[in-house]
Amino acid sequence: MSDSIVRFDGVTKKFGDFRAVDDVSFEVRQGRIFGLLGPNGAGKTTSIRMLTYILKPDSGSITVFGIPVGPETQARLGYLPEERGLYKKMKVGEQLIYLARLRGLSRQDARKRIRYWLERFGAYDWIGQEVGELSKGMQQKIQFVATISHDPDCLIFDEPFSGLDPINSEMLKDVILELRDAGKTIFFATHRMEQVEQLCDDIALFNKGQLILNGDLNQIRSSYGQNSIRLRFTGDSRFLSELKNVRVNNRSTNFAELRLLEGADDQAILREAQKYVRVQGFELVQPSIQEIFIDSVSREVGS
Amino acid sequence: MIHREKLLLIIQREYLTRLKSKIFVVSTILAPVLMILLLVLPALIQTMSGDRVRQFLVYDETGAVGQELVAGDSVYYQLTDADPDSLRQSLMRGEIEGYIVIPHELLDGKGSAVFYHGGTAGMTVTSRIRTDIQRTVRDIRLDRLDTPAEVRHILSDRVQTENLTITAEGEEAADSDFYMVLGFIMGFIIYGAMFGYGAVIMRSVMEEKTSRIVEVIASSVRPFELLMGKVIGVAMLGLTQFIIWAVAGAVLMAAAGPVIALFLGAGPETAEAADAAAEVAAFSIPPIGPMIWISFVLFFLLGFLIYSSLFAAVGSAVDQESDSQQLQLPIIMLIIIPLMFLFPVSDDPASTLSVTLSMVPFFAPILMPVRMAVLQIPIWQFGATVLLMILTFVLLMWMSARIYRTGILMYGKKASFRELWRWMREN
Repeated sequence: MSDSIVRFDGVTKKFGDFRAVDDVSFEVRQGRIFGLLGPNGAGKTTSIRMLTYILKPDSGSITVFGIPVGPETQARLGYLPEERGLYKKMKVGEQLIYLARLRGLSRQDARKRIRYWLERFGAYDWIGQEVGELSKGMQQKIQFVATISHDPDCLIFDEPFSGLDPINSEMLKDVILELRDAGKTIFFATHRMEQVEQLCDDIALFNKGQLILNGDLNQIRSSYGQNSIRLRFTGDSRFLSELKNVRVNNRSTNFAELRLLEGADDQAILREAQKYVRVQGFELVQPSIQEIFIDSVSREVGS
Repeated sequence: MIHREKLLLIIQREYLTRLKSKIFVVSTILAPVLMILLLVLPALIQTMSGDRVRQFLVYDETGAVGQELVAGDSVYYQLTDADPDSLRQSLMRGEIEGYIVIPHELLDGKGSAVFYHGGTAGMTVTSRIRTDIQRTVRDIRLDRLDTPAEVRHILSDRVQTENLTITAEGEEAADSDFYMVLGFIMGFIIYGAMFGYGAVIMRSVMEEKTSRIVEVIASSVRPFELLMGKVIGVAMLGLTQFIIWAVAGAVLMAAAGPVIALFLGAGPETAEAADAAAEVAAFSIPPIGPMIWISFVLFFLLGFLIYSSLFAAVGSAVDQESDSQQLQLPIIMLIIIPLMFLFPVSDDPASTLSVTLSMVPFFAPILMPVRMAVLQIPIWQFGATVLLMILTFVLLMWMSARIYRTGILMYGKKASFRELWRWMREN
């Protein structure tokens, strides 16, 4: 496809004998929100570090905007690492200008854009303060401005919501969607699958360094069909373990997500549940990403 | 390969943020103050502790020596008639600090004067008593022989010796002792600077790593550019500090003459006297040739570059300062070894040992300026040493950058030497 922004082609990265990323190929299309998913240690951060040209792959190639990764592509990417950090002793304004200029912006342009984004986040008053004097939440906003201030065409967020309070979280989500609507491509990595369902257009599932599933999120989900049950109830939840031909996910005291396995009958499950608890909600739905992930992993292991 | 604009940006940040920092201002002022204190303090303590009145009793069998001693200092020495046994008792009871027994035969050149004390007499006291008695006895014996004044002069005359260095061009440079001390001081300053600025580099790398900013930076520039920018920025900072000190020193020196003249009571109306005083003040410091300055700055810079690349590698391999000590140990040893050879090298700067040691890149920053201050070294030694140091720096920087590149992304664990070796060989 001509509108592919990021392209991994047979990429492998080893640390000693450990294959952190193992022969991975995928594409990210322009103007989409792409979710890189997988548990901790699946190879997400290593992939991102190769994409941002911090690490070099042992084999395979990575291109951004059709150009092999290098100093030129670095300037067109905005990267928010999982481990946040800024110079504590440096003033907000100086620091943002410095980071933007490292990515090739002129001083004037940097100042203009930083002013815009700081005002947008209601943070312009902090421009003369040292970063170390700001609260955690404020520092996160500054870091976010640092990521987008040079107007990159492609943004990379590694666990963007980790450590954010609900208000900042909501704001970040809005900005991500706004950037996408402005034609930017967004590449984000997370192990928290529920965030993905609200944001991503496309996903790539990683497990132990390997890509196990890749594609349009809606297509993937519909290909699984409505094979899951969302059950809300009051009463003793112990009956859940007795149910046959189902797998129980996301279990809590009054809610459970059930995956129907082969030979399972949804109506029989409803009748069975009613014997033990008061059923308040019963809905047939598409599987969650979590469910799809577990399913894909178990299929990989099985094959 | 290196992106020039980015490198300049990094150098600028590293230099300016430090130049504006409190630590820089404080250390620029405090370092010379401390150094002067270190030189002046021992003398100061000496005079301060001198306020205790000390007195020693003299039991004199000659009937002449004691009187002369008392005539010289009637507080320090006091004649006594008490016999040695009772003096001994008084000393044991702590009533007196000490006593001296001068036997008859001392004036015949036999026997010895004995100084008894309760262990409280330090080196200053014992050596003073020794010289006082020696001089007194000598004078009395000379008196008895009616020695003419000319002979006495000969005996007490100090013979002046002067040291002059003749360079290859035939110039005479006076006062080689001064240049030896100068070499020492320069060696120590370079030693302190390599340590101090090396630690600045290490801490700066560590700070970027622990604050995690380094990943953002590494996604914009090559780690090598960041490292080079840091090293150059801090080197410029070091030069700035030296220039400030040199200018301040020159101003003080120029001001010293008139100030001394003022203290001597010479008012502005006697301009000639002020000039003369200034001349005296300036003359007390022999000229320091440009070659000495150049070698000082050059070897400081090269030494800093070599050691800072090592310190940077250590900084990138650890998360906290306390973890760095084990990895720092070999570096510290490399810096300290030349200090141990400071004396033998300045004592015999042309010996094979001195030449060899001063050409080892790790030792040269301290030992070469010491040698160059004292003598004019052959140009090939100078050139070869500088070349060796540059090569060492390039090699170390290359190795260090490879360790750095991996180290800055490794969180939460302290690397061993084996791991550093592995990081260095990784592609």
